[in-house]
Amino acid sequence: MNIFKKNEKRKLTGYWLVLPYIIFTAVLWVYPFFWGLVIAFKKWNIISPVKEFVGFDNFLRVSQDPLFWTSIKNVLFFMVAFVPLSIIASLTVAWMLHRIKFLRAFFSIGYLMSYVSAGVAYSIVFMILFSGDGLINTWLEKIGVTIPWFSDARIAMFSIALIVVWKYLGYYALIFLAGLQSIPKTMYEAAEIDGANKWTQFWRITVPMLNPCFTIILVFAVMMSFNVFTEPYLITGGGPLDSTQTPVMQIYYQTFEALHAGYGSSFALMIAAISFAFVFIVRKSVEREAA
Amino acid sequence: MRKKSEVKGLVIIYVILSVGLIFMAFPYVWMVLASFKIPSEIYSRFFPTRFTLEHYKMVFAGGTSGLQNPFIKSIFNSLVVSTTATVSVVFFGAITGYALARLQFRGRNFLNHFILFQMLFPAILFLIPRFLLMLSLQSINTYQGMFLPFLMNAWAIFLFTQFFKAIPQELIDAARIDGCSELRIVFRIMVPLSKSVTAIVAIFTFMTMWDEFLWYLIVTKDYDLMPLSVLLGLFTKGEYSSYPGIQTAGATLLTLPILALFFLFRRYFSEGITMTGLKG
Repeated sequence: MNIFKKNEKRKLTGYWLVLPYIIFTAVLWVYPFFWGLVIAFKKWNIISPVKEFVGFDNFLRVSQDPLFWTSIKNVLFFMVAFVPLSIIASLTVAWMLHRIKFLRAFFSIGYLMSYVSAGVAYSIVFMILFSGDGLINTWLEKIGVTIPWFSDARIAMFSIALIVVWKYLGYYALIFLAGLQSIPKTMYEAAEIDGANKWTQFWRITVPMLNPCFTIILVFAVMMSFNVFTEPYLITGGGPLDSTQTPVMQIYYQTFEALHAGYGSSFALMIAAISFAFVFIVRKSVEREAA
Repeated sequence: MRKKSEVKGLVIIYVILSVGLIFMAFPYVWMVLASFKIPSEIYSRFFPTRFTLEHYKMVFAGGTSGLQNPFIKSIFNSLVVSTTATVSVVFFGAITGYALARLQFRGRNFLNHFILFQMLFPAILFLIPRFLLMLSLQSINTYQGMFLPFLMNAWAIFLFTQFFKAIPQELIDAARIDGCSELRIVFRIMVPLSKSVTAIVAIFTFMTMWDEFLWYLIVTKDYDLMPLSVLLGLFTKGEYSSYPGIQTAGATLLTLPILALFFLFRRYFSEGITMTGLKG
């Protein structure tokens, strides 16, 4: 009887302990989510009490907004540069860290250092370093070239991707390193006996065994790509010629400067759907069930 | 005995890693040096010919903005907001994680799945409605407006849940027999036995809050209440746009506390990331 009562009491304790989380999630997650849905169907400037229901009008207007497509194109361009560069660089660093023992911790920490830099701080740093007459170009001039990093519409987004690679390289490398260290040595030894060369070993053992790492890094990278804001906001302001306009920047301008809350909401919904679809595609095409 | 080719390979690896490390550290070194340079040398030289404290003086004196020490106040604002969120995320993460890992109640499985779902949900959906919520709670331009959405975190709950599952049941049973309350069990047994996960949650939360830009940009209006990240960002775009010295001095101030945390707790940083990778 006593034990039964105690179990009942414990069940209640469980509820008490998760109650704050449930209240928090209801108020600051579920409720805003539905509110966002509702607003997307209204025309509203935040200030006025009038919220006119306009059906799918906002969605229609977003889909006809050239800047919507430009911002998506820019995200894709960002990803095309960011994903291969960051994965190749971080996998190389991880492989080298895996090979060494002496000073491994030192190098790991060294490479991870950039990950903790604040968005605003490193945007300022690269904005000045990569500016037209900045230090990098001053040095490049000595060999007769200068690169208009942020002032040429064709490469501005690439430059942004490059500095974001700087930030995440060490972070991804450590994820890969953890993956590499979890591969049993015996697998390579067995392959060696079977006469597989290093190249075959890499593609047949290392890459498949790193599948969870690839999946999580790709998912992180895709989600991050759709959320780029601070760097272009501070460095280029979206220019030149809208080449670094990102979805979040557009949502920000439309909602908080032009005060088109409904328009901003439907913009956000469409971007969220696209980003969600990308994550889904990545998981479907990359993720393999653990053997 | 190692083969000659192997030694040669290792030497090449160390050389490449060192060169790479120089590239990685370069922006930091440049930033700190630039903040002490005279303006004309920021663009054209790596090593300064002479040091100046002018930029830091400007930052701390309030410069041309006419405000009394907006940067010092903004560091204080950043600390208040980041610390509040960190304490809350750890506290609620631990109790929720404990309930989800160790207590039986209906709906537990659903909550576990829901938390995973939340972690993958596009954050951009919440920007506008949460702003409107803060507006209706009259929390625009207040501390609570800045930290309210970040008081609990699905990722933190998930980490605590995973860790608490591994703690032996005997310890919990023994504590119950001694008459410990469940809350006491969480903070006297579970948390002390999960020091590294607690540290990871605390450090990463503090770092993200300190770095946050967009949300603070939206909910703060007065310079007086802005966290350092927003104040520095706005001044860089605005009145200090042609003062690279002040910008780099501000960037250094924004970076150093987190970099110090990073070197102090470096073990937890790499552990936290390794955990991410393995949990997939």
